Amino acid sequence: MAYKYYKDNRAYIEALLKTGDAIVVNDEVDWDLEMGAIVRRVCEKKSPSPYFKKIKDYPGFEGFGAPIASYRKLAVSLGLDPETPIPAIAKEYLSRTAADKGQKPKILNAKDAPCKEVVWTGDEADLFRLPAPMVHEGDGGRYIGTWHFVVAKDLDTPAINWGMYRQMVFDEKTMVGPVLPFSDMGKMFYNKYAPNNIPMPFATVIGPDPLSAIASCAPAAIPEDEFTSLLMGEPVEVVKCETCDLYVPAHAEIIIEGVIVPNVMIEEAPFGEYTGYRTSPREKRTVYRVTAITMRKNPILPISNMGIPTDEGQLLRSFSLGLEMERMLRDQGIPITGVYMLPESTHHLVVVGVKPAYANIATQIGQLVFGSKLGPWFHLVVVVDDKTDIYSKDELIHNLSTRCHPKNGIIITEQGVGTPLNPYAWPEERKYSRAGKVIFDCLFPPEWPTSMVPIKVSFDNVYPKEIKEKVLSKWNQYGFKD
Amino acid sequence: MAEYDTYILTEFSELKEDEEILGVLRDLAPGTRKYRSTYARFKVSKDAAKYPDRLWVRLGRGQLVPTPCSISVIEFVNVIPKGL
Ligand SMILES: Cc1cc2nc3c(=O)[nH]c(=O)nc-3n(C[C@H](O)[C@H](O)[C@H](O)COP(=O)(O)O)c2cc1C
Repeated sequence: MAYKYYKDNRAYIEALLKTGDAIVVNDEVDWDLEMGAIVRRVCEKKSPSPYFKKIKDYPGFEGFGAPIASYRKLAVSLGLDPETPIPAIAKEYLSRTAADKGQKPKILNAKDAPCKEVVWTGDEADLFRLPAPMVHEGDGGRYIGTWHFVVAKDLDTPAINWGMYRQMVFDEKTMVGPVLPFSDMGKMFYNKYAPNNIPMPFATVIGPDPLSAIASCAPAAIPEDEFTSLLMGEPVEVVKCETCDLYVPAHAEIIIEGVIVPNVMIEEAPFGEYTGYRTSPREKRTVYRVTAITMRKNPILPISNMGIPTDEGQLLRSFSLGLEMERMLRDQGIPITGVYMLPESTHHLVVVGVKPAYANIATQIGQLVFGSKLGPWFHLVVVVDDKTDIYSKDELIHNLSTRCHPKNGIIITEQGVGTPLNPYAWPEERKYSRAGKVIFDCLFPPEWPTSMVPIKVSFDNVYPKEIKEKVLSKWNQYGFKD
Repeated sequence: MAEYDTYILTEFSELKEDEEILGVLRDLAPGTRKYRSTYARFKVSKDAAKYPDRLWVRLGRGQLVPTPCSISVIEFVNVIPKGL
């Protein structure tokens, strides 16, 4: 049965306008920094998403900023009330995606696919005809792919991948971007196509429906098109590309088709990144050549503006990385109460609540999550007990400052897999994606006798039930207004 | 006079003047093609009047060097194999 969801970017924008989580900007805005600056401020102030009706130099195009940069918008994208609390959003996501198999996409004819309303091939397929924004001053170029995903197919298996990998416009026919070697598309391209010198067909899907976008940046264990069907409760509708055999979501705003060039790299970046810094330098990266561009009439180009919290990279990646970890730890039978990755940590810090059932359970949790496919993206795991609210930053600070032994409680692994984007890393560490990993064990050792375990002094913990009930029932009578 | 910028990964003091360099130039002419990149062979000088065109230099993370240089473009170069 289908859940309530939005089939395209437009229906989603309408929903956000209704809940007050988007506004219409009728003034003309400049693609050269002005749109970027607006979206950046929206992320920092947690303002509604701007729906730009007029873009300088690009009549007929519209724009949409910060598509899912808040939990409210995430709730709306899943068809939930915007006020839904984070644990309830997480529960919904986990229950929808519990199955290990989704449904295959439904194939539409081109005439029924809105993304084919306009088709440009040959010289017409010119990237400068699209209003790619200069997102931040100093960026290495205009980024057309900031809220999008790249579709690719494995060389010798039927595996399909949708992955959100940023793309910079280099010239009219060329895009360039980082495809990390441990990403799914990186494995397909660098391990199979490139060694055989075979160009890899790709299709960039710009302005997809929100659930396809969420799937493309989630660490899903199944193909992302099937994962999308789990989020939707029915198959995602796709259509065949013009110049290759790939299939793309039929209701997306813009599709760019082409090939990824083997064994040639050109310069990309710098770019504002999810860590809140422009960290990875200008470097030679993966080259995409364009063969066709198709789109809806009056397409709406979305912009995610990465920088200091909170942007989509931080919010969605924290959300899905944390929940994938939760699934894995439960599958392994670890008695966890939950997992919360803080978007404010730029998905570097995760809090795991656990019943302290045996000694060194925190180390076991840390090793499991760092050793998984999710491991490169974070380096700080804080393990707290089952009485701690994993969503509370106050409780996190209190745990770290009082329960974590400064010597025995901090477990450091020096050689782990990282990313080139870590702002603190030395150039050599970035170059080879190396990173140290740290576990903060905030559990009192289970071998301590009961008489020795410090008692948490809180309203909840140190008063008898009847006193608490009395105080709570008379709270306002005492004169308190809260 | 054309106006470009380029990124260098070293410090500005290490910029090689009056020697042929192969690098990426971005065209800063206003309009829809602003920031178009292209590989080129060129010579630069920190003396803004020495060569015919203007060049702004940025460091690896986008930091703009506040004083412009001058540039002479020798040729534009295509680095993508033919047919792709
Ligand atoms: C806005 C945004 C931009 C991203 N850009 C990149 C990128 O340029 N390169 C990359 O490897 N991952 C990037 N990611 C992270 C990937 O989308 C994420 O790792 C995803 O799971 C990739 O899919 P994969 O597991 O199939 O490789 C980005 C994520 C978001 C939300």
